[in-house]
Amino acid sequence: MPNQPSASRFMRWFDPRFRQPGTWAFILNRITALGLTLYLAMHLVMLGKLAQGPEAYDSFIALAKTPVIKFGELLVIAAGFIHGINGIRIALTSFGIGVRYQKQLFWIGLALSVVATAIFGYYMFFIA
Amino acid sequence: MNRSTPKPNEGAGLWLYKIIAGLLVVVVLGIHFVVNHMVAPEGLLSYADVVRYYQNPAVVWMEVFFLVVVVSHSLVGLRSIILDLNPPQRIIGVMNVVLLVVGSGAVIYGVWLALEIASRGSSL
Amino acid sequence: MSTERWTVNFLVSRKIGDTKAHLESFKIEVDPDEYVLDGVERIWAFHDRSLTFRHACHHSTCGACGMLVNGVEKLTCITTIRSVTHNGGTLKVEPLRNFPVVSDLVVDMGLFYTRMDEVKASQVVPVNNSTLPYETVEFPADGIEHERLADCIECGCCISACPVALTTDSYYGPAVLAGAHQTESILKDGQAFNLVDHADGIWRCHSGFECSAVCPSNVDPAWRIMDLRRRVIGHRIKQFFGKK
Repeated sequence: MPNQPSASRFMRWFDPRFRQPGTWAFILNRITALGLTLYLAMHLVMLGKLAQGPEAYDSFIALAKTPVIKFGELLVIAAGFIHGINGIRIALTSFGIGVRYQKQLFWIGLALSVVATAIFGYYMFFIA
Repeated sequence: MNRSTPKPNEGAGLWLYKIIAGLLVVVVLGIHFVVNHMVAPEGLLSYADVVRYYQNPAVVWMEVFFLVVVVSHSLVGLRSIILDLNPPQRIIGVMNVVLLVVGSGAVIYGVWLALEIASRGSSL
Repeated sequence: MSTERWTVNFLVSRKIGDTKAHLESFKIEVDPDEYVLDGVERIWAFHDRSLTFRHACHHSTCGACGMLVNGVEKLTCITTIRSVTHNGGTLKVEPLRNFPVVSDLVVDMGLFYTRMDEVKASQVVPVNNSTLPYETVEFPADGIEHERLADCIECGCCISACPVALTTDSYYGPAVLAGAHQTESILKDGQAFNLVDHADGIWRCHSGFECSAVCPSNVDPAWRIMDLRRRVIGHRIKQFFGKK
């Protein structure tokens, strides 16, 4: 029947229109969760280069120093901050702490994530 | 009107584990990051650095612990997303086995890798 | 009511029989301080008698007129036209999300009502258990056991707004979980915990808090779900250590 909940409507999870900050947090959490899971799998596979010896690992690290890969790493760092800080928000509210301030917690968490990512980005691109 | 019996597949225990593992990931990832990329000179960016770093048994234990919590948190979370799609019970059974095999495989692989790297210290 | 007159283009979702839902335009003159439901009724009365929609009390008690107004869940009998559009603007009225559409703006809420019964959600509750703990409402301390209607009017707006309910009708949804929370606050026997501690209950919620944002009746389902989680975890830990 039309309008009936269905697994095929999952893309609408990610539609931010007419939604509240809580759903924006849910959308960000879900996208970062999937992204970080993919990264975790890739990270574990890539670390396998260590077992292949110094040449394999060091040439991989040389590739990781290129700007494109560094930008990808920065996206992972941003995802980590967003998911981690919002995760703390969910943990707190799920135990009844700060439920009525969940919107403020979202905005504070997002601001912290942006600032932390900017600091990491500055360090990665201009210092290291 | 369809009516399905509530599924017992995700209860208080698993949900609490997901939350606690998530908080542990935040803590250990912080340590992992600081040690790997700030304390370690040049940020463990060469094979020799990594092998030297793994000579400390506490590092091996911490990395293995980190691996277990991060893999379990991500797979329990992925399972939760799949449960949101309301799969039939048969698919949930298959999913449980697949996630268990993938998770166990990742941990076994990670532990082997950590021990392998640690064992190469004598060649330095 | 004012003497002001607005012309508003109502875009009303139509679905008759097995046809695909589509939007039909009705340009009507309204008083901006009238309610959206008044506009829908006027369309039915003067433009198209085949339009189907649910309503009864016109004062936010029956919960029948929940609809999607410009993409957001509203109880149309208390939503002024002024609050959702402007003179010369459009006003899109669609059926609630996440419920099967029977026709036009009418949805089938049978499963939802069945679940409210399952969690023993009562429509009349003792006054002392009728509010949220953080509310400061004073009731007469005259020794008489007063009762009042529960805040939840079963309009379904919260289930319509819930992002999780988009993909699974097995999820109980905010109103039902809030009903279980109220049942537990009255009976205090822990039975309600068993009714919601499963994959289709409180653990399916992903803290979008949309339910509380659209609730027209101060139920705050998200607060109740979060409180239920805390209490279920506490209950299970006590059970684990052998305490009843």
